[in-house]
Amino acid sequence: MSALIKLEKVGKTYFRGKEPIEVLKDLDLEMPEGAFEALMGPSGSGKSTLLNLIAGLDSVTSGTISVSGVNLGAMSEGQRAHWRSQNVGFIFQTYNLLPVLTAAENVELPLLLAPLSSAERKTRSLTALRAVGLEERGHHRPDQLSGGQQQRVAIARAIVTDPKIIVADEPTGDLDRVSANQILELLVKMNKELKKTIVMVTHDPAAAERASIVRHLDKGQLT
Amino acid sequence: MNLASIAIKNTRRNIFRTVLTVVGVAVAMLAFLLLRTVLSAWLVGAEYAAKDRIATRHKVTFVMWLPKHYAEDVKQIPGVGAVTYMNWFGAHLPGKESQFFANLATDPKTFLDVYDEISLPADQKQNWLEDRRGAIVGAVLARQFGWKVGDKVTLEGSIYPGMWEFNIDGIYSATRKSIDQSSFYFNWEYMNELAPGPAKEKIGWISSKVPNPSEAGRVSKAIDKLFDPRDIQTLSMSERAMNTSFLGMMSTLLTAMQIVSLVILLIMMLILGNTIAMGVRERTHEYGVLRAIGFLPKHLTAFVLGEATVLGLAGGLLGLALGVPLINQGVGRFMEENFTGFFPYFRVADKDAIISVVLSIVLALIAAAVPAYQVSRLNVINALRKVG
Ligand SMILES: Nc1ncnc2c1ncn2[C@@H]1O[C@H](COP(=O)(O)OP(=O)(O)O)[C@@H](O)[C@H]1O
Ligand SMILES: [Mg+2]
Repeated sequence: MSALIKLEKVGKTYFRGKEPIEVLKDLDLEMPEGAFEALMGPSGSGKSTLLNLIAGLDSVTSGTISVSGVNLGAMSEGQRAHWRSQNVGFIFQTYNLLPVLTAAENVELPLLLAPLSSAERKTRSLTALRAVGLEERGHHRPDQLSGGQQQRVAIARAIVTDPKIIVADEPTGDLDRVSANQILELLVKMNKELKKTIVMVTHDPAAAERASIVRHLDKGQLT
Repeated sequence: MNLASIAIKNTRRNIFRTVLTVVGVAVAMLAFLLLRTVLSAWLVGAEYAAKDRIATRHKVTFVMWLPKHYAEDVKQIPGVGAVTYMNWFGAHLPGKESQFFANLATDPKTFLDVYDEISLPADQKQNWLEDRRGAIVGAVLARQFGWKVGDKVTLEGSIYPGMWEFNIDGIYSATRKSIDQSSFYFNWEYMNELAPGPAKEKIGWISSKVPNPSEAGRVSKAIDKLFDPRDIQTLSMSERAMNTSFLGMMSTLLTAMQIVSLVILLIMMLILGNTIAMGVRERTHEYGVLRAIGFLPKHLTAFVLGEATVLGLAGGLLGLALGVPLINQGVGRFMEENFTGFFPYFRVADKDAIISVVLSIVLALIAAAVPAYQVSRLNVINALRKVG
């Protein structure tokens, strides 16, 4: 398998006022296409920071990140936004669905940025909802769904644009064991059946077990 | 679903706040509409004032009389058509001094020639021309006092003391807004006959028709020039010019009202700006999510401005829906009946209705400008880190 995501000497420093906080240091990392990666490590070790860099949400302070040979550091912020909308699906710990939209509308949301007809958007979001087993709940609002169901809607939203990569930051962090297992099953299914490369940050060893590769981060270094 | 429908749905997020804001905007717009209508009604009074009619009065003040034969002299001036004259009678219903209405003595025959926008049924007109104690009253005034044709009415004089009896010979309406419909006109001969010595053969002012309105200025000058060498000089002006100069005198009041309108609009903007800023602040995390998914700063700006437009439009339309019936049927009717001299026509002008809705939207957009700008500068990472 070739490397889909490639980090070379990546450094990331934040500033709190004038004081620099070096979160990542000289990180070299290759993630193969089709992998299900788990990133583990203590709180504050830089897991989310690394995930955000891979997802093109943030830019590196030093070094380079490339995805499918495309250097993210060379892009403008607008170009990165466009790249994200086509290549990355996001799953957050707190689901982050828009409360005023129904489940189906939440799933449809990323498609508004693509040149698709309204009918085609509907078809695609229904397909994505079906893939997470919630086609019956399309007209429900987030507050009418359980946490596990909301996270499944979020997964549908992440895959609806058919991205190469799915990034998930502690996707089971807010869920009970049963719901968490359902979410992990779904992620495995997305990885196996839809060939999505998944990068998941987690605290949970049971979650990390589902991944094909587990990496540990501590104080900005892979261990 | 599309981007616009998301902006609309966002207003449902906090229904209570949205409703309060919309009602706030509506009330502000209603107040604005009312002030605009007062202003417009005033200007309409000037606009509809006849251009083709010249009023000639004593140079010093309109309270002083002119000799009646001046009317004959005016008639000789080239460019002048029909000529009539009037006296302010200043009487009231016995014991009801507070119920003011305009009552004027005039020469019926020439009056109807000069004020040709008066519409009076032929038989009523005939009766008035032949009746020494005859009077015609405006339709609005007749409705106010419940007068009908054939009624006898007694008025108590003040400038011309005594009790005066009149027959209501006719009820007039107007085909243009250049004359109000709440005045009482009666036969000058009747007044002159019983007037005390010094008041005999005296008229308050002369009103002459100028068939060619473009000559009104020249004719006015010619009239005043004619009387210049005499003991009593005159001041002549078209009705339009007179109303406009009256407006000039009122300009301080008008300016004050304009300022109040502006203050109302400012308050409205603050209400809207506050609601929008609060909504944006609460949704920072959500905007971060949208940016992560791939939405651009311009999309977020559009959401904020779209939401502001929805609020402004809803408030403006509600203000109109409440204001138009209230002003046209409530306040307006009262004003037309009680202050007809100033407000012959007190209704919401189409122009003002459109202005109020457009302003609601424009001001909402201005109020949303700062939050919209801030949201476009949002840092995705920080927004996502922000909880709730
Ligand atoms: N935007 C930021 N500004 C300043 N410091 C930050 C910012 N983002 C993260 N950090 C700091 O970087 C470190 C790593 O954060 P993070 O990547 O969120 O860790 P993890 O996800 O492993 O808990 C923390 O000390 C955090 O306080
Ligand atoms: Mg984290």
